[in-house]
Amino acid sequence: MVETMNSVASGARARLGAASGAAWLLVGLCAVFSVLAPGFLSGANLVNVLLQATILLLLALPMTLIILTEGLDLSMGAVLSLCTVVLAVVQIDSGSIVLGLAAALAVAIAFGLFNGLLVAAFDLPPFVVTLGTLGAAQGLALVAAEGRTTMGVAEGLRWFWEGGWLGLPVPLWLAALTWAVIHVLLYHTRFGARVFALGGNREALRFGGITVKWSLLWVYALGGVCVGLASLLLTARLNGGHPTAAIGLEFDAIAAVAVGGTAFERGKGGLTGTVLGVLAVGVMRNGLNLMSMPSSVQVAAVGVVVIIALWIDAARGRA
Amino acid sequence: MTADAIPLLELRGITKRFPGVLALDDVSLTLHAGEVHMLMGENGAGKSTLMKVLCGAYTADAGQILADGQPVRVRHAADARALGVAVIFQEYSLVPHLSIAHNIFLGREPLNRLGLIDQARMHAQARAVLARLNLDLDTQREVQGLGVAQQQMVEIAKALSQNARVLVLDEPTAALSDRETQRLFEVIGELRRQGVAMVYISHRMDEVFSLGDRVTVLRDGKYVATLRAGDATPDELVTLMVGRKVDMSYHRGERPAPGECLLEVRGVSAVNGIRDVSLKVHAGEIVGLSGLVGSGRTEVARAIFGADKLTAGEVRFAGQPLRSSPTHARQLGLGLIPESRKQQGLALMRTVCDNLLLAGLKRLFPSNLYQPGRGHAEGRRRIAQLRIATPGPRTPVQSLSGGNQQKVVIGKWLVAGTRLFIFDEPTRGIDVGAKEEIFRQIDELVRQGCAVLMISSELGEVVRVCDRAYVMKERALAGELGRDQLTEANLLKLAMHHG
Repeated sequence: MVETMNSVASGARARLGAASGAAWLLVGLCAVFSVLAPGFLSGANLVNVLLQATILLLLALPMTLIILTEGLDLSMGAVLSLCTVVLAVVQIDSGSIVLGLAAALAVAIAFGLFNGLLVAAFDLPPFVVTLGTLGAAQGLALVAAEGRTTMGVAEGLRWFWEGGWLGLPVPLWLAALTWAVIHVLLYHTRFGARVFALGGNREALRFGGITVKWSLLWVYALGGVCVGLASLLLTARLNGGHPTAAIGLEFDAIAAVAVGGTAFERGKGGLTGTVLGVLAVGVMRNGLNLMSMPSSVQVAAVGVVVIIALWIDAARGRA
Repeated sequence: MTADAIPLLELRGITKRFPGVLALDDVSLTLHAGEVHMLMGENGAGKSTLMKVLCGAYTADAGQILADGQPVRVRHAADARALGVAVIFQEYSLVPHLSIAHNIFLGREPLNRLGLIDQARMHAQARAVLARLNLDLDTQREVQGLGVAQQQMVEIAKALSQNARVLVLDEPTAALSDRETQRLFEVIGELRRQGVAMVYISHRMDEVFSLGDRVTVLRDGKYVATLRAGDATPDELVTLMVGRKVDMSYHRGERPAPGECLLEVRGVSAVNGIRDVSLKVHAGEIVGLSGLVGSGRTEVARAIFGADKLTAGEVRFAGQPLRSSPTHARQLGLGLIPESRKQQGLALMRTVCDNLLLAGLKRLFPSNLYQPGRGHAEGRRRIAQLRIATPGPRTPVQSLSGGNQQKVVIGKWLVAGTRLFIFDEPTRGIDVGAKEEIFRQIDELVRQGCAVLMISSELGEVVRVCDRAYVMKERALAGELGRDQLTEANLLKLAMHHG
């Protein structure tokens, strides 16, 4: 059957290979920007790159799982924007950061569950479902924020972006913790094995007597949890809520996952590549920023990087 | 096993209806512990549907399932699993990017106290199960990189790990070499001793008699008969399956002397691992390419076709050197018909006629203007020529049987002007009647001046059909056999490892 094409490279090596592609890309980008972008290599800037990457990582980690199941979540950026507004409004009205975060998490998880329910139980294509919820979240955000930035959140909220613990910035802790949890979920639980099977061979689950639906639902719900957490960082960073704050961030997240070697079919890929992919996209954006490139150029550049990464992936697959 | 013992499992009067089709009509089957029960019937006879009812993938519209004499309900795969029924389907239900151990225990992974997968225990248990099959595989390896035979063993290991009492094997040897088949038979023998009941779906007569205890024949969704394997004869079984006397054998007639040399492969090595392969195929000749699975036969075909890059040597077609490019090979008149029908470039939703014309549009319509009249005439001509059993040229290909889909593939290449056909396992998963028909097609192709290189794992097939044969071993050519030396024993001798 496929003995001809696939027997040579064992799967594990292929996975490392894909991640190493992202690693090389990251090294290459750093080399280029250290020459072209003034101040790229300064310590302050490198910390900045990491900080900026945390929000993207919070989206890209669950996005990896979603893509492993041959799904997609286009609504993440819009839901994240909505959540910054919800967090800011609830925090200001109630005076409680905890309530604000709880409300934001609830909204994000509700969207995740809704996406998951439509994909899992009704078998609708994820692309269309999440495109729909993207629109819904965007509209809700604009209504809730009355079209403008919600300012005046509590000072304490800024700690989540600017504060530190044991010498490391809080966002890095949050990102690392999220990575650790999702790593354990993906590689050390039955749920994780199902994620790979959902993309690799759903029949394996059906004949194994496992209900496909609920695993899929939880994958999208996990996306909601992470978006909720990301909204905490983003609101802290903006010092308020903004209805279009994270528009298009799902594009960067999908790009990071793709650059990291996770394929859009057959359940191929993993988290290591995604972390490297997030850093690559982060470095790219940061470097272009330092070179004073407009954001339109940045979006195009990220797009080009994704295509190059997929092209390298395809070339490796053929060899 | 005694006749009056309570059967392990019994299917009674199973009926299953699909829109417009009565797939199973009052079918019964009894399974005793430690028996290998052969299930035979042509494609579409209802074997697979019956097995899907048994494993809970389908629910029967009528009829009963009894386990140890007690009626049970099998509505979901989980019900069947609880009864100890495990199925090894032809399309393996493995997850490519999970490890062997993960695949064996998918959904049943041993957990530690924290509720996480106990990796050490899972891999140890996986190794233990594989050891029962005499397999020494790295359980950390992803299934993705395994060959067909190894994947099947992982499937069987998966079933064993579930303490299966009833194992359903759906044409398990279709993709295996003779040596691997032998290995599988040993495993089956061992399971039989352990009291496992097996349903074995097969198209191969020899397996029925060498393996089976009893045989049940289905035809057109109906139960026909159950015989003791020792009491049955091949002719009898074929008659039961087909419902009328048919010639089981295609007889190779005298062929005209071979013509010009169409394909010449000179000292070819390629990135896929084959080394220093040389062979020739003349017009009007059927040449076999034999060898064990994994010996590099498919790789030779891919190298010839330009799908894998050459590192040494050259390939000439009708005297012209081939560039290492499938497009170029196709333009010159080389056709590769791969093993898996799903990969054969049939647009399953489109009509028979559309598919036939797909690769030959440029040739048929040099002006780039599609002329429906001419297209249809060509389609009808090929349907008649290849005797494709289809209600009409506008029938979607997916509703044809496997054998007829195969013919559409051949027709497609003929329309495109192909002169040399490379068949990779042309009869895999095809029932007896259609097999003979495929052989006739291949014969017809060479009579019309085409040449055929046929890759086959079935030695008997090579002997019956081919004029000459090359044998591969360990990715190099082990030898060539002319017509007068072409016997199963000689093929096997060349293909086997020494020592």
